Amino acid sequence: MEELRQVAAGLAIGLGALGPGIGLGLGVSKAMEALGRNPEASGALFVPYVLGLALTEAVAIYALVIGLLILFT
Amino acid sequence: MPEDAGGHEEALIHVAIKGETLFHIGPFAVTNSMVGTLIATVVLASLAFWVSRNASTVPGRLQSFLEFPLEFLGGVVKAQHPTRWRQIVPPILTIFLLVLVANYVGLLPGVGTIGVRVIEDGHEATVPLIRPASADLNFTLALALIAFVLFVSWGIRANGLKGYLKETFIANPPYMTPLMTPIHIVSELSRIISLSMRLFGNVFAGEILLAVMLALTFAVVPAIFLGLEAIFGAVQALVFALLTLTYITLATAGHGGGHDEAHDAPEHDADDVALRAGAH
Repeated sequence: MEELRQVAAGLAIGLGALGPGIGLGLGVSKAMEALGRNPEASGALFVPYVLGLALTEAVAIYALVIGLLILFT
Repeated sequence: MPEDAGGHEEALIHVAIKGETLFHIGPFAVTNSMVGTLIATVVLASLAFWVSRNASTVPGRLQSFLEFPLEFLGGVVKAQHPTRWRQIVPPILTIFLLVLVANYVGLLPGVGTIGVRVIEDGHEATVPLIRPASADLNFTLALALIAFVLFVSWGIRANGLKGYLKETFIANPPYMTPLMTPIHIVSELSRIISLSMRLFGNVFAGEILLAVMLALTFAVVPAIFLGLEAIFGAVQALVFALLTLTYITLATAGHGGGHDEAHDAPEHDADDVALRAGAH
């Protein structure tokens, strides 16, 4: 049972990080593209960029919390 | 930390998902994360005391360092709320500074490594004396609840109680209400969970990451991750503050967005909506 728990926790964070990883990559790539086209926009870009990354990353954090819950409770 | 493993000796690191009780004051259990919160509060309070006594028009090095977050967040808030930014900046800044200092307490040497002996469930155990406050769900949940009260009260203040309830509970084409209202309520309440879980997950995962790196590798490698955690600590504090600000902006501008707000909204609300539309 303990081994199954560890496999489940590993799967939870591993699969859960898949989507947000792709999403973060897309977000950063678009932001870099925009920055390359228009370098003066960095000030206006910063806050939406950080917020977007945080909201995307939150999904991975949920997976992490689930993994921790499986492992330690 | 490996020697803290306690009962199960095969464990690589000591991981506790919740704050561990140090001692009891009456019916209240004092946990090690409370010690971390206390340290963060003392640091902030003494800095505030120092600045309020020694503030000068030409800021010194420490003062300009402390003014930087105020200027940055003040600018961001002012861009979104040209009329009300003076009332909105203080809570946002307080959240930012408290989360920032609470995150950085976790990076101090000795936090999580200095243990004390306590009696736990009848037998003696070693628990860390200090736990960073934001690695405890109680702390982040409390902050998220404060943020929730903040943006709901701002929604009521901006649109009036009637307007706020109408925005929240009645969808724009009224026949959509049975479908939209539950979604609205769930999305409002899920903000509490997502705000608290994001901060808790990040900081707690960072703590575990540092402990694992310290246990697995040698001198230089954990230092790199310590630097990484310093960046993440600041980013997470910023994210918490900015998300609270965004929720306040959404609440003050009304939820409908697309529908005609001219008939009941005061003039400054129309400004906010125009600003939001321009920002996207």
